[in-house]
Amino acid sequence: MIASIVDTHDLLEVIWVSIVAGVGLTAVYGVAIVGASRAVDAGRQGATAGAVMYGALGIVAIAVVIAASIFGIETLSDK
Amino acid sequence: MEGDLIVVIVVATALAFDFTNGFHDTANVVATSISTRAMAPRVAVGYAAVLNFAGAFLSLAVAATIANDVVDPAAVSLLAVFGGLVGAITWNLITWYFGLPSSSSHALIGGMVGAVLVAEGPSAISFDDGILGKVMIPAIVAPILAFIVAGVSILVLYKIVGRLRPRPVGQGFRGGQVLSGGMLALAHGTNDAQKTMGVITLALVANGTVSQSDFHVPDWVVVTSATAIALGTYAGGWRIIKTMGSRIHKMDSAQGFAAQGAGAVVILAASKVGFPLSTTHTISGAVIGSGAAKRLSAVRWGVAGNIILAWVMTLPAAACFGALTYSVTRIFGTGAAGPIVVCAAGLVVTALLLVRRAQQRGIASVGDAAEVTG
Repeated sequence: MIASIVDTHDLLEVIWVSIVAGVGLTAVYGVAIVGASRAVDAGRQGATAGAVMYGALGIVAIAVVIAASIFGIETLSDK
Repeated sequence: MEGDLIVVIVVATALAFDFTNGFHDTANVVATSISTRAMAPRVAVGYAAVLNFAGAFLSLAVAATIANDVVDPAAVSLLAVFGGLVGAITWNLITWYFGLPSSSSHALIGGMVGAVLVAEGPSAISFDDGILGKVMIPAIVAPILAFIVAGVSILVLYKIVGRLRPRPVGQGFRGGQVLSGGMLALAHGTNDAQKTMGVITLALVANGTVSQSDFHVPDWVVVTSATAIALGTYAGGWRIIKTMGSRIHKMDSAQGFAAQGAGAVVILAASKVGFPLSTTHTISGAVIGSGAAKRLSAVRWGVAGNIILAWVMTLPAAACFGALTYSVTRIFGTGAAGPIVVCAAGLVVTALLLVRRAQQRGIASVGDAAEVTG
């Protein structure tokens, strides 16, 4: 009954995109915070290699979040 | 000539609705940023206004749904569109007056359906494919989805950052809220401004200005709708900010980030496929989800219950006001006299409400001052 009145393809697309993008990007941003926080701590302790590694992790994670956001907007504006 | 005058009145009324939509709805978008102190209130509202404006240019799928799929554009008259708009504005003003975060989108759809039902009969309304399939079912799914996404996100986040020192984590998420709040404002502009575009285009089709066979949203409609919602956003809706930002539950910056992110992705994904969602419902679901995942008792369920009550009442109440407005308009015939009289009466009532609200604020301020000094 419901399948005949609602476009299930569109509805399912909204559901899976929301779950993957919502939870995924939030988790990646969490990783960015971990990277930044650990990089600062490692730098204070004089562990340069650790600071660089965690710093790189933070930067990559932030880049992923920003790139995914831009991709989302691009996809939406594809009229 | 008289048809053109009615079109001008309908467009002005639609833009007024768009302004009240920004005023009434978009405050929800910035409430979490303000609540967690990620942004100062005025900065957050200004930022949301700019991104609402930008968001209105992203897509036209929702406008097409409003103009084509809810009511039959071939059967709709300009007076019915006018009645629907005034019904929606009336319900928005009532809920604003009482501080209830109800949905402007559902008020608009309810108002249109009520007015068209009285004007043209049930055959002019697409109940199954349009209202049920593109409005009601997505309206039920979206807040639940936002609730789940925000809830799962916050649990995942706490797992990831749980062992870190709280201070940098708080700072990090407040920074993240600039991005997530911006995305939410963009999403709101995309979904909500398009509803006004859809209604104006419907009026233009009814007047014969836009051909039904060559459906398109004129550029001036996009620009004026974007401007009206952005101005409404900047004017702000402080009572609703208070309800959304702190009265449902006190949130930390991680919860604010998760709630805004969840709300933004749900609204953007729905906008892509043309579902006219309520941003109020969606962000409310996300805010409640981010609180409930941490601790069920953190949510003030009484406030959440009032919000749900406002949701349930919005469609039928706005439909009644839309039907009533159309009926009153028709007392004056099919010309421009009815809309002019209704607009004049509406402006007087709105002015009285604003004066009364200002007087109540004045009394409250005197009371607060007496409490402080006493």
